[in-house]
Amino acid sequence: MNAIEVRDLRRVFRATIGTIRRRTKEVIGVDGISFDVRQGELFGLLGPNGAGKTTTVKMLTTLLIPTAGSATILGHDLVDEAAAIRPLIGFIFGGERGLYWRLSAKDNLRYFADLYHVDPGVARRRIAELLQLVGLSGRENERVEGYSRGMRQRLHVARCLLHDPQVLFLDEPTMGLDPVGARELRQVVKNLVSQKKTVLLTTHYMFEADALCERVAVINHGRIVALNTPEGLKRHVEDLSVIEVEVFGIAPTMVDSLRQLPDVDTVSVEDRDQKQALRVHSHLGSAIVPQIMQRLDGDGVKVGRVTVREPTLEDAYVRLVGGEA
Amino acid sequence: MKRLSNSFRIFLGGAVLSYKALFRWFRLEPYLATKIIAPLTQILFFTFLGTFATGRDTASFYAIGNAIQLTAMSGIYGVTMSVGGERNEGTLIYLFGSPANRMLTFLGRALVHIIDGMLGVVIGLTWAGLLVGVDYSPANLPALGLTVFITTVSTSGLGLLMGCLSLVTVNVMFINNTIYFLLLVFSGANVPLSNFPVWIQHAAYALPLTRGIQAARLVISGSSFTDVAPLLAGEALIGVVYVFVGYLLFSWFEITAKRRGTLEAY
Amino acid sequence: MIANLRVVRTAFELEVKQQAVDLFMIFGVVIQPLLIAIMAIYMLLERDPSRGIYVVVGSGMTGLWSSLLFSGTFHINAERFMGTLEGIVASPSSLAVVVMGKTLASVSMSLLSMIFSYGLASLIFRFPLSVAQPVPFCLSLLITVLVFIAFGLLISPLMAVNLSLSGWVNALEYPMYILGGFLFPILLLPGWSNPLSYVLAPYWAARVLHATSSGAATLPDILLSWSMMLILGCIYVGASYRLFRIVLRRARVDATLSLM
Repeated sequence: MNAIEVRDLRRVFRATIGTIRRRTKEVIGVDGISFDVRQGELFGLLGPNGAGKTTTVKMLTTLLIPTAGSATILGHDLVDEAAAIRPLIGFIFGGERGLYWRLSAKDNLRYFADLYHVDPGVARRRIAELLQLVGLSGRENERVEGYSRGMRQRLHVARCLLHDPQVLFLDEPTMGLDPVGARELRQVVKNLVSQKKTVLLTTHYMFEADALCERVAVINHGRIVALNTPEGLKRHVEDLSVIEVEVFGIAPTMVDSLRQLPDVDTVSVEDRDQKQALRVHSHLGSAIVPQIMQRLDGDGVKVGRVTVREPTLEDAYVRLVGGEA
Repeated sequence: MKRLSNSFRIFLGGAVLSYKALFRWFRLEPYLATKIIAPLTQILFFTFLGTFATGRDTASFYAIGNAIQLTAMSGIYGVTMSVGGERNEGTLIYLFGSPANRMLTFLGRALVHIIDGMLGVVIGLTWAGLLVGVDYSPANLPALGLTVFITTVSTSGLGLLMGCLSLVTVNVMFINNTIYFLLLVFSGANVPLSNFPVWIQHAAYALPLTRGIQAARLVISGSSFTDVAPLLAGEALIGVVYVFVGYLLFSWFEITAKRRGTLEAY
Repeated sequence: MIANLRVVRTAFELEVKQQAVDLFMIFGVVIQPLLIAIMAIYMLLERDPSRGIYVVVGSGMTGLWSSLLFSGTFHINAERFMGTLEGIVASPSSLAVVVMGKTLASVSMSLLSMIFSYGLASLIFRFPLSVAQPVPFCLSLLITVLVFIAFGLLISPLMAVNLSLSGWVNALEYPMYILGGFLFPILLLPGWSNPLSYVLAPYWAARVLHATSSGAATLPDILLSWSMMLILGCIYVGASYRLFRIVLRRARVDATLSLM
């Protein structure tokens, strides 16, 4: 039996727009996705912001009812057997909300342990263990409002493990953390898998999925555009080279004009302080550089360093989501 | 002249800003509930309580007292929120850094609440007429209008002071709620001042509203403008004193905050 | 069952810990009822000092109602603001059980307002205060607590279902003071409003607490009030059960659970 089985899951939101003439508009959050997660697997759901990751997790954690499709968690149906699923799963939504800031970490954990019907004796022991695991021992009696962002996020990890769930949903757990904090949290996630937990992790960082996940589903505009191991995903870009051009102040229209070039596969732009990194994928390799330079010159864009390199997993991701990452 | 027009602009600008701040949460239904229904319930409760205590013929005493006291809703809550709101929005630091005249800025903010407060009193007096049967026929209406205006202004003066106080302390709403209820008890809206011990009576006359409510009762029962003029002058003076104290407090706060470098905390 | 009781207890404890330092709560439980008591003392007792206990019970009831109304409005909505509602809904515990613990906390804390009014009237104003029929009074107080919790269980999901209702909270405070007969008998009110009072459990609570404290209560009258409170309490709980189902279903279907 798979830990998670998802079949054609779909979720449509109704949004009300306009203050005077109120109309409802349908927004598709998740547009018919299917995947399986094996027991004990660390499965990644990778996609840009707004791709439908959080909506998927909310459905799988019984917080949202799907518009269509079905899913099972450890064999229990998501909608009909929500009550049976709840004790078996734990979840985190990235960010700092979801804790009682006026209370201490220990009070927060005690409360959630009770909500999950954990026996008080067991809870006491587990709370101590978990505080140790997430590195908050010694500060458990301080109020959460005085915690740093990273501490709050680690407290969330402890919270979701209180009832020893078999399946964990971690929605962007490292969001907003500094690099050190993020690395520590990733280590905690890795340890979970060694304890035979099933983990569904969402992220918009390719390297995070690469470092942690056995298989990755890339999701964009509510659809799964690729599902493979990180190595398998890399094969999507084997035939391409990556040309990186440092530019200063490029307008979106110029990026579009580059996309029109016949041998260009995808173009993405990343802001780096005052300059931007323009990343062009092409099967021509360095042979396409003159064409790019000519186009940029014509638009009057100031150009810095140019490099040509082999594609990485990041490039595979960029190609799959069409340069939106 | 330029300076004057500039000051005027700041004054009006403050008023417009405050107006927007007031109506950002504006939705018709809660506004009606707060502005029309809630006053009705307050007037009814205290009029029933008062007539239970002192008989049916005293109903208009309580109805008028509460109708005038309603001005504290905008005068205290509204004004405090538009001054104290600076702190929550984190915009105070920009005001401190600007050459704008603080006094005018704040008075401008109070303007919209003065209009709102007078509207509130009119609604209150209408309820008092409709439900309790307060008779306005002996009243000198211009004098009543002036009474309502001066009382609203002086109550807003207290609101300004509270707003400045709220910049120093943490919880604005707590102070507001307390002040609102203190006015309800000690301004003579519900308890005839002569019932209180003498020292409380003295304290009550240091509050805005106290003289205004007395004046309103007199005017409605047929007194002439000259009869209530001393009360109104006192009421206006009280308002000026509160605005001035609020201004001093704000200046002190600005200097201290800049000296201690605690501006960012606000 | 035991697990649910534990949830009630923890929710109770945490609510007390959070509210005890909340100035809004302190205002509702301490300051407002005390000021109402002072006002009522000067308005009512000038004429009849023997009615001190009436003022104490009446202003205590206003504190009980105001804090129930205001805290009830925020019990579910505050969880929504903090983002903790999802954690509760996705747990095996029922939201209603959590809200029950929180309501118990606010009702217990607001009983303090009756004690403060008592202290004020007896220590500062030195009115002779005694409860004439202490045993029925205490039993009535206990039933009052239960029926107020039932009422609170109705308010919280109602305010969560319809957020714009919370804009009406200010307009709902005094009507209960009036219809509940907290500080004056409902005989003063026009006759058509009396049926409204009869379906409100706080009216029966105020009636029996006033009667047993002043010594005017007869056994049939006490029993009538108690049964009305229990019947109304059951009706409130039944309605609340349905409302909670609507809240959860809507939140999961309409996706408004975490929004705000």
